[in-house]
Amino acid sequence: MSVRVLVRVLALVAFCLGPASSAGAQGDAEIVAHPSELTYGPLDFELPDADGFRRELAGGVPAYLVPDRSLPLVDITVRFRIGSWLEPVDQTGLASLTGELMRTGGAGELEAKAFDEAVEAVAGNFSAFIGSTSAGMSMNCLTTVLDECLDLFFSMLTEPRFDGDRLDLAKENELESLKQRNDDPVSVAGREGQWLLYGPDHVDSRFVTAASLEAVGRDDLVAFHRRYVHPGHMVVAAAGDFDSDELAAKLSALLGRFGKEGRDQAPWPPQGAAYEPAPGVYVAQQDIPQGRVQIGHRTFQREDWGHPDHFALSMMDGVLGNGGFTTRLMKRIRSDEGLAYGAYSNFRIGSYWPSNLSITFQSKSETVAFAAKIALEEVDRMRMELVPEDELQTVKAAAIETFPSNFESAAAIASIFAQDEFLGRPHDYWRTYRANVEAVTPADVKRVAERHLLPDRLVMLIVGDWEEIEPGDADGRATMAEVAGKIGGGVTMLPERDPVTLETVSQ
Amino acid sequence: MGIALLALLAVFVWPAGGAAQSAPTAAAVPVEEFELDNGMRFLLVSRPELTTVAAAWVAHVGSADERPGITGLAHFFEHMMFKGTHTIGTKDIERDLEIIAEQEAVQEKIRAELREQRRRYRLGEINDPYDPAHRTDTLNALRAEFQELVEEQREIMVKDELDKVYTDGGGTSLNAFTSNDFTVYINQLPSNRLELWFWLESDRLLNPVFREFYAERDVVYEERRLRTESTPTGRYDEQADAMFWQSHPYSWPVIGWASDLEVISKSQADEFFATYYAPNNLSAVLVGNFDPVEVRELAERYFGRLPQAERLVPDVVTLEAEQLAEKRMTAECDCQPQLQVRYHAVPFGHGDGYALDVVAGVLNGRTGRLYEQIVEGAEIASNASAFYEARKYAGVFNLRAETKGDATPEQLLAAWDGIVAELIAEPVPEDELAKVKTRVSADTYRQLRDPFFLMIQLTIMDALGDWRYLNTVAERTNEVTAEDVQRVAAKYFEPSKRLVSLYYRKAGTDATETPAELEALPPEMRTALMSQAEAIAQIEDPAQLEMVLQQMEAQSAQVPEEMRPALDWMRGVIEGRLAELQEDQGGEQ
Repeated sequence: MSVRVLVRVLALVAFCLGPASSAGAQGDAEIVAHPSELTYGPLDFELPDADGFRRELAGGVPAYLVPDRSLPLVDITVRFRIGSWLEPVDQTGLASLTGELMRTGGAGELEAKAFDEAVEAVAGNFSAFIGSTSAGMSMNCLTTVLDECLDLFFSMLTEPRFDGDRLDLAKENELESLKQRNDDPVSVAGREGQWLLYGPDHVDSRFVTAASLEAVGRDDLVAFHRRYVHPGHMVVAAAGDFDSDELAAKLSALLGRFGKEGRDQAPWPPQGAAYEPAPGVYVAQQDIPQGRVQIGHRTFQREDWGHPDHFALSMMDGVLGNGGFTTRLMKRIRSDEGLAYGAYSNFRIGSYWPSNLSITFQSKSETVAFAAKIALEEVDRMRMELVPEDELQTVKAAAIETFPSNFESAAAIASIFAQDEFLGRPHDYWRTYRANVEAVTPADVKRVAERHLLPDRLVMLIVGDWEEIEPGDADGRATMAEVAGKIGGGVTMLPERDPVTLETVSQ
Repeated sequence: MGIALLALLAVFVWPAGGAAQSAPTAAAVPVEEFELDNGMRFLLVSRPELTTVAAAWVAHVGSADERPGITGLAHFFEHMMFKGTHTIGTKDIERDLEIIAEQEAVQEKIRAELREQRRRYRLGEINDPYDPAHRTDTLNALRAEFQELVEEQREIMVKDELDKVYTDGGGTSLNAFTSNDFTVYINQLPSNRLELWFWLESDRLLNPVFREFYAERDVVYEERRLRTESTPTGRYDEQADAMFWQSHPYSWPVIGWASDLEVISKSQADEFFATYYAPNNLSAVLVGNFDPVEVRELAERYFGRLPQAERLVPDVVTLEAEQLAEKRMTAECDCQPQLQVRYHAVPFGHGDGYALDVVAGVLNGRTGRLYEQIVEGAEIASNASAFYEARKYAGVFNLRAETKGDATPEQLLAAWDGIVAELIAEPVPEDELAKVKTRVSADTYRQLRDPFFLMIQLTIMDALGDWRYLNTVAERTNEVTAEDVQRVAAKYFEPSKRLVSLYYRKAGTDATETPAELEALPPEMRTALMSQAEAIAQIEDPAQLEMVLQQMEAQSAQVPEEMRPALDWMRGVIEGRLAELQEDQGGEQ
């Protein structure tokens, strides 16, 4: 209790020192009538200087080392612009298994179990993944065990053992997860949506099957690792309790543990097979009480990070549905009509190939049509009407005022600047970001909406119970016939697929 | 940024107990704590190197404070707290309140109609009292009348103004979450805008207006469909919880029962707010860049306005009745076959909780016993994990495992029983124990890294009973001995105190999954057989099925050996359909 009393006394002292020295109801007089009348001091923020953190390690490997001595922890991540697009189609899953087995298959002198135990003994967090166009391996350790951790980490990077039993186990467990691919509407929508927009042959449209998993052997992992996981195209990000010069020296020495044989320089990921999606409504039947909806079309590939249209598109997306509760989709579909827990848009510009727009929501079967009708209306409205200045201002403020929080921690700073290097994004992007956002006008938003929102190219995917969805709601606010008419291209029932082979199952 | 020049944030503490030689160091969260005269508490963690403040307040109320009829109200109420106040969300508060009163009058009439609908449902006249297809003319007329009032209100509303004002001010993460025990309202703002948080949060506690109540009720219903009804195991997990808790209000879901959501009223929400949102039932947590002296002054000025409660906030008084016999649930769903086991354990703050966490630590991870014995060893599970969940009023120890290959949930249960027997019979070796303790200590540093995460942790720990848990957990865990682990395993892992849930993949006619009997067949043949099975499921005439069965028997001698399992499977499908038809007929009589 004495602590409490002390705190109270302190509170009292503080209270007397503060500007509001009157108590109780009189305090109300100090409070403005509306929050718009509040005034604020300036925010103390200076954009971190990327070049100040950049080091070149042995062999020219770029590294962003951001020290933060407040906690005895060190974070290190290495990134590679490699991924599943480098694997043979009939071995889909090879890249991700290589990543998984780097972490789980033992390394250096240590067999799989011994490696796991060594990581546990220092309470380290180690991870490794290889995704579709990027790979990352990271470690987080206490400073007291930094050298032990670095040794283990570089064993994992340079000498993974790819233990055969662990590989078998990983493949078998992956097979179990394949069996569940039709259970969840989110997973069905992800797969079918990808195929509808990108076609079956795009490098990003590949999904693991039992056969492709079966075709992956230990030698393939060894070869994939040898060819692609090496300092020739590596970016390092580190943050935490270290002296940058000391850490740079340690890392440079450790990089020497990579062999030099059989290395391939991974090229920039290719555009992938060309594909023209066919507009229309597509249905994947699933017996659930809601329909999961994705509406979208392909967009384009980024060529210039400073292009003003990109900032206007980002603001347009923010007005339409990419943000909090203030977006138009959220306002009308959720807040006004109570049709869905959430309704979102995401206008993506591709780094490696033309990306896509997606508008998503999940509504009870009978109101899928009404919610879709609203979404289509809002897409049209973006193209037809100028966004009111204050509505745009809210979206701009969200980007500008929160900008400093992107650089909130040493780990965030290291990661952002390493990502710049990885994507070819100039560091200067950040210096001009707020001014570029501020410059966007309502006319800009309308112009890019007219150019880049394509109502006659929309593909709508529904995962749900078509019989319940098709007639629309009891209040007659919309039917799917109406929605399909607006989209054009008719309604196509997608074939059922075996979750393991992904082959169609005859009806 | 000056990150490198910061003073040490954490206070380093060494465990006071024995085993000093191997005890790892741990970090403590430097919290400054004070309480307003009205009883509202504040926890502050100053982080001057940041440009933001992560801010939250927590109401010590959750679904456990509800009763049948208003289940889901705590969570639904959380949604209503975003709908504005006398100042925020409307251009004309007087007319706004009048419209709300008129809306309530119409809703009262709708509820009277729904009462009649429920009577018709009880009599079997309609199969669902809330199905739009069964709405009476009166109901439709009332709904139309209500909709007019909604349209009128929209004219004077400032839509989602709370969110707009925060967004304009650089606020992010405006959100909230509700659990069985607490409701947390979160934010993150640029540090120079902190007063905005004080203004808006104290305003919505002082002058809330629960507008758009019924549209939001539909949103919550959609949330229920999204999280519970459209996920592979959602409704079954909900049933398992309802079975596990016998007397305690943890038995109903936080999202609420569907039928309660249909009739929850604004006056119930008003009463709920008056009872549970009193300042002595609230705590605020701020982590970030601020001047603590200024924060106290702001707290007094803004939250000091909340009137002191006249009565004590009600406690949850129902204790969980002692479970006397094992419970078991057998579910068939579109899901991976799996096992879940729930044991009754101790609530937050109980001394045995540390040992139970150590048990979970010994079981989990790639060096844990579950992985070694059933994932890698016996190869009957594709994954498995254990988790001790300390709630405010009671605890539960969970085991979950998914099958692999042909293994069954029963096999997983037998293996789990073996693991439990070993925990009880043999002391945990010292290195295994040390591994868990080292991990817990190291994680005390990691929890300090992200200010937002730390803020969430502090609110939750405060709501469960005491935020100081974060600063004592490493030391208390270090005191756990091998004997403690044996003792708690023996005490809490009793079969008579558990619920065993066995999940099987729905068998038979679902063409999207391959029955084991057909796996050996070429894909074309498999597909053909499975679509035949689908056709059989549609046949209504038992005589036709009998005929197919007879034909199959007649030809069975010619069937090659490798096709036999498939034949048996098909026979099973037909017999199953026959049994179904007979049952249906029985039901009609």
